[in-house]
Amino acid sequence: MEWMPLVLFVLVCLVLMLGFPVAFSLAGTSLLVAGFGYLAGSFDGAFLSALPNRIFGILSNQILIAVPLFVFMGLMLEKSRIAERLLHNMALLFGPLRGGLGISVVVVGMLMAASTGIIGATVVTMGLISLPAMLKNGYSPSLATGNICATGTLGQIIPPSTALIILGDVLSSAYQQAQLSMGIFSPDTVSVADLFVGALIPGLLLVVFYMTYIALTAWLKPQAAPAIAKRPPLDRQFVLSLLSGLLPPLALILAVLGSILSGIATPTEAAAVGAAGASILALFYGQLSLGRLQEVMDGTLKVTSMIFMIFIGAAIFSLVFRGFGGDEQVQALFEAMPGGKVGAMLVVMLVIFLLGFILDFIEITFVVVPIVAPILLAMGIDPVWLGIMIAINLQTSFLTPPFGFALFYLRGVAPKELPTSTIYRGVIPFIAIQVGMLVLLSFVPELATWLPDKLYG
Amino acid sequence: MPLSIHAFITGLQAFTKIIGMTCRWFSLAMVVVTCLVVILRYIFDYSSIPMQETVMYLHASLFMLGAAYTWQQQGHVRVDILYHKWPRAIQERVDLLGTLFLLLPTCLFLLYISWDYVAMAWTYREKSHEAGGLPFVYLLKTLIVILPILLLLQATSNVLASIFNISLSPSENDNNTQDGGYS
Repeated sequence: MEWMPLVLFVLVCLVLMLGFPVAFSLAGTSLLVAGFGYLAGSFDGAFLSALPNRIFGILSNQILIAVPLFVFMGLMLEKSRIAERLLHNMALLFGPLRGGLGISVVVVGMLMAASTGIIGATVVTMGLISLPAMLKNGYSPSLATGNICATGTLGQIIPPSTALIILGDVLSSAYQQAQLSMGIFSPDTVSVADLFVGALIPGLLLVVFYMTYIALTAWLKPQAAPAIAKRPPLDRQFVLSLLSGLLPPLALILAVLGSILSGIATPTEAAAVGAAGASILALFYGQLSLGRLQEVMDGTLKVTSMIFMIFIGAAIFSLVFRGFGGDEQVQALFEAMPGGKVGAMLVVMLVIFLLGFILDFIEITFVVVPIVAPILLAMGIDPVWLGIMIAINLQTSFLTPPFGFALFYLRGVAPKELPTSTIYRGVIPFIAIQVGMLVLLSFVPELATWLPDKLYG
Repeated sequence: MPLSIHAFITGLQAFTKIIGMTCRWFSLAMVVVTCLVVILRYIFDYSSIPMQETVMYLHASLFMLGAAYTWQQQGHVRVDILYHKWPRAIQERVDLLGTLFLLLPTCLFLLYISWDYVAMAWTYREKSHEAGGLPFVYLLKTLIVILPILLLLQATSNVLASIFNISLSPSENDNNTQDGGYS
């Protein structure tokens, strides 16, 4: 019965494709396969008796308490329409430059990524506001759509991001497990703050690459990214309105991020203060009503439930997978891999990229990372570097046709006349940038590891 | 269709909804209590373990008690590459079969495997292991059996509605794009 782990994995993927909620599909399929294995005598039921304690571990997990707080902050900022004002003002400021509208999308997208971290929200907001403006002003539709999709996915990698918190939690237990298996009984740790710091340079580099690409296009093919003829007068009123849209959210993001990175506050504390700050901002802009607050709380409850139910479903999957001896098999497979660490890493990155077409960050982090990370880390791979590689890899797969999530969101709000193939063509240069970033990071891992080393030693 | 069944189904739906609409306030409470913890620590240099644990309890209750409501409101992500292209009838079939063969066994198994674990915590009223912590760990553990019970109630209502061909209120279908799209 040594093929049972593979059967389990393939069956789970097939059942997921049917479209029943992921959390229940993961749990249900795993338990049915376990039941079959139990009757056939190849599964030891004792593995599942650890389940209640695993769930209690999820309930009392201190790190992940930051998740609902960050979601609350993100939804509050999103619903208070601060981003929309920002986008409007930035477009007025940069519009008169060639390619300026495209660059303003990247700047605002980066800020939205840092504050809300919600890919869908960023792509939809930009798609509704920037896309019509870009098309009206004669931007090439493929450049405009590619630009918006790529910028929207930055929420994954630019801290503080919910995705990095979850990844940080999973990697930290994987790292401990890896060191215990190597006989190190006073293990080093890796924290969410390490990942945040590690993601800074690669995330900002991506932003710079996106902008460079847009500027180059505007320079080489002026008709693809023309300047807007109208220039607003740069008077006091305009500058004030620009600053009032730009500074408060920027200050909030810097305060939240700064207090985490400097070690003053835990991610949970910073997130709560950020959520309170976002609510005060919303109030200040006259956007906070009881109804709006209820929408934010409702969204927070749903997103949090969704994430943690997947966590529980994935815990059931991983117990069953382990019960069938799956983790030993993966380990044996990696050790037999030609090229050792490099070969294993390549395969993992490829598998994660492919899974990124059907699963999102949360599912992959809870299901796949706990299986592969302890083995990779035991081979001597740096945990921060591994985390950033996974994050950028997944970000890339969200952009890649035909199943990239960002493409679906944009398709939903783009004009019907705009062919889907235009969007596909538009994202190709950005995918190339992403792949280039992964290659760069492979050869220069210090881009991710230098800053955490420098700050935390 | 018998009227009483209709009342039973809508009653269960309403019950799930009330629980969800109550529990969503826990998110705001988490923000407020954590901010208080921060203020007390950095201004008054006072660390309150009961308050920190309160945040943990609110957090756990938020998603354990809110999961059935989230399901009712279509908030649990699906892999919808195929699902969103299928006609409504097939989607309903997937949901019915998924509920019966994936969700139902999961809930029953969770109840079976966790019952003794939770009962044990109740017999000696398990407390926090932190000095000065809250003495309610047994209540926190009870969430592990409440989750499947709430999901089973919502499942019962969904399955009955599907069998008797009762369409649930439109609010169940309209807001799935926004929340399902969180990444």
